[in-house]
This record gives sequence, structure tokens and C-alpha cells, in this order.
Amino acid sequence: MKKYLEIAKIHFKAQIAYRFDVAMTMVFTISKILFAYILWDAVFGQNETVAGFTFPMMFSYYIISSFLYQIEMSDRVSWEVSARIRDGSFSKYMVIPVNPQRYFIAQTLGAMMFYPLFIFASTAAWVVLFRVKLVIACDTAVIAAALIMTVLGLLFMIQLNYLLGILAFRFQDISVFLMIKGNIVAFITGALVPLVLLPRGIVSVMRFFPFYYVTYLPSMLLIGRNKEEALTGIAVLAAWLLLFTILNKYAYSKFRVMYDGVGI
Amino acid sequence: MMVYRLSFFGATFVDGCMFIVLILMFNAIYSQVDSIGGWSRGQATIFLGTFSLLNAISMTFYFFGVVGIPGKIKSGELDHYLTKPINPLLRLTFENIDPGSAPLIPLSIGIIAYGVSLQNMTSSPGTFILYFVFIFLMAVLFYDMQVILRTIPFFVISATSIEKLEGTVIELCMRVPGVLFKGMFKVLFYFILPYGLMATIPVQIITNSASGIMIAVSAAVVVLFTALAQWFWRFGLKHYKSAGS
Repeated sequence: MKKYLEIAKIHFKAQIAYRFDVAMTMVFTISKILFAYILWDAVFGQNETVAGFTFPMMFSYYIISSFLYQIEMSDRVSWEVSARIRDGSFSKYMVIPVNPQRYFIAQTLGAMMFYPLFIFASTAAWVVLFRVKLVIACDTAVIAAALIMTVLGLLFMIQLNYLLGILAFRFQDISVFLMIKGNIVAFITGALVPLVLLPRGIVSVMRFFPFYYVTYLPSMLLIGRNKEEALTGIAVLAAWLLLFTILNKYAYSKFRVMYDGVGI
Repeated sequence: MMVYRLSFFGATFVDGCMFIVLILMFNAIYSQVDSIGGWSRGQATIFLGTFSLLNAISMTFYFFGVVGIPGKIKSGELDHYLTKPINPLLRLTFENIDPGSAPLIPLSIGIIAYGVSLQNMTSSPGTFILYFVFIFLMAVLFYDMQVILRTIPFFVISATSIEKLEGTVIELCMRVPGVLFKGMFKVLFYFILPYGLMATIPVQIITNSASGIMIAVSAAVVVLFTALAQWFWRFGLKHYKSAGS
């Protein structure tokens, strides 16, 4: 465990070298907030409530979901793992005394830890600038459930991206697939629109899958809605996390023999 | 190139999927409301199809050429283009035509046709001709913006953040119809970073909601930005240091 903590620390410190990237990440948080503000301001100009949301609630949803979406940086795991498999530099993870999956979890969490404060600061600045009243839940149990779900969601997304990354052992070039995945994940996690706007039947099916609980449900909980789903959400997400831990172990042991270390 | 079929049609899969996701997003919103800022579901669908068409034209004909300009400036490889007896910008623009992106064009036209059927409108052949004239003009404007932003590396070391800015603004403007921009945002996305104009004006033309003044102003913006792109490119070339060669 200690060695993974050290890996996380190193990657946390490494972010300091990319100060400009951090600054740009902060500035670009405005994109999703501006999108929500302009689009929903027009929608609420003609309607008082939409799917049970008022404008401050809807805007709060986007502020929170955009914050969660920005700190979820697991995308880089699939890109890095697949690139390293393609260029042959994945060999180093096979020879050093670490479990590659845990290494990438530690690496991503280390890098992720650096950003929340900055993204929070920039998000807060945009909220003040747009002068919108935030709607936030006051129930500590609900906030705790949302935080647990957020952490589980981050871990699940890292696991998912690791699995996609190691598919490069088998399929070599998976970049197109990863780009498509990015668009689909943004939609099914509720980062584009709250999932409650989708037909009820589709939402019911989505509840069996983990993406519902990664961004959407924590955001809804934090604006004081869907409280009754909190415990089920944690249970479903934990089950998917366990499943992916086993699946990743199996996939790695099956696919690693296909690796020929090209590029060394 | 056909050996790697998935990569060859990569842009088609990725961008096609992106626009389908955006259609689903607008459908989700329109399932709750009848209009967004006065725009119906049909208009919003034509808007997405039009943006997709502009993107398809860009990806097929010039994007993969223009996108390489910063790298060639940085490495000094631009020398090879300057010493050849052909306009360097013309060669850079069309040297990487990507037929793999071409299927996006019929896909976009399909989205537009679907939007037109939803809109249940009657437009004269002249309106359709004007629509396609403006598609051409907006494709030129899209190209102008790409050239302007990729000419900046003549003056700075890294253009990563400029490309990030471009991506962010395009992402915003393909999700938000231009008619929704108000005040300073309208000025910003119509006249400074005119991505807000690109799909909006053709949609207003085809749905008979564009004013003559707005059509004229949009055409003027295209002319202005084309002149600016040409001037900025030549100005950049004067500052080219040929480093790395």
C-alpha cells in the first residue's frame, strides 16, 4: 500500500510542473457553465419549471455535475495504457514490482487530488459572476452519501478506462473507440443533460448500470433530490466496482500474453 | 489507408456519434418544452445537421491539412512549402484531404432532411439555393478561423491552449443555437469568434426567419475574416524564423 501512496504523491507533485494546464483547466470550466446558463435561461424564459427543476436548481445541477465531470480525469488512463502498449513502453509496468492496475489507480488519484481545489475556486468564481442562487442539500447524510458515491464513481471510471486501455493488447489501435466512448459517457453520466429528462423506461434501465451513479445521482443528491436512491446507488456502484476488479484481473492475465513489446 | 478501416473512417465514427448524442440531448430537452428561445425541435435539428455538415466539409477537405501548420512552423518543415512554386497555404490546406470523413456529408444531409420534415415548412427552391450558398460561405469562415488560430504559432512557442480554446468555443457553439446569445455573448460569438453565426444563419435562411440585414452582415463577416486570414498568414510568414530546419 505504501508504494502506491508514493506513486500517488509523485504524480500529485508532477502536476505542479503543468501550471499552465491547471490554469487552462480552470478557465475552461466556464464552457459547460456558460452552455447551461445560456441554454436553460432561454428554456426557463418560457417555462417556470422543467421536469421538476426551477432555473436555480437546474443551474446548480450543471455547476455540480460540471465540477464532478472535470475532476474525473480517468480518461487519461485508457489513453496512456493503450499508447504504452502500442509503443512498447508498457514493459516497464510488467517488470517493476507493482500491480499495473493499482499503479494506474494510484497515478490517476494522485493527479486528480491536485485539481479539485482549483476547479472549485474557478467554479465558485463563475457562480458569483453569473449571480445565480445555488441550491444545495443541507442533510449531512445525503451529502455523505453523495461523496461516497463520487469516490466510488471515480474508482469505477478508472477501472473502466484501465480495461479499455488493456484492450490494446488485443486490438492495437483503440483510439477511435476511446473518442467515441468519450461522447457517449458524457451523455449517459448526465453531464450533458440531467437524465431525468429522458423517457422513464430508459432511466429505469440506466439504474442497473454504473454510469447513472457517477455524475448524475451525486449531483441530484447534492441539490436535494432523489434522496431515496442514495443507498441503492452506493450498493450498485460497489457491485460494479467489484465486478470490474475481477474482470480487469482476468482480462490482464488473458491479454498480456499477446504483448510483444514492439517499440523497445 | 483502407487496410486500417476503423482508423480510416475514424472521423466519421467519432463525429457522427457526437452529433447523434447532441440530437439525443436536444430531444431530451424538447420532450419537456415546445421551444427553446423561439426555436422549435425542427429548427434545432436542422441547426445540428448544418453544424455537422460544416464540420464534415472541414474534416473532408481542409482540416487535416490546416491542423498540421503549427507543427510545421515549430519544426521548420514549412521551408519545404515556401520553396515550392505553389502557394504554400493552398498546398497546406489541401494536402491531406480525408475521404474517410466524406460519409459525414450524407449523414449530415440526412439530419437536415429529418429536421426539415419535423419543421413541416414550405421553402422555395431559391431559399434552398441561398441556404447552400451560405453553407459554402460558412465553410469558408470556418476555414478562415482555423487558419487564423493556427497562424498564431508564428509568434508564440506553443499553441496548445489556443487549440483548446478553439475546441471549447466550437463545442459551445454547436450546442447552443446562435439566436440564444444575448448582449456581449452575441458580439463575441457573432463578430469576434464567429462560430455562433456559422450554423445559425443558414438555418434562419432555410426556415425563412433571417432578416435581410442579418444575411448581409453575415456575408460581410465572411469577407472580413477571409481578408483577415489572408493578411494574418502573410504577416505571420514575415515573422517565420525557420527554426529547426
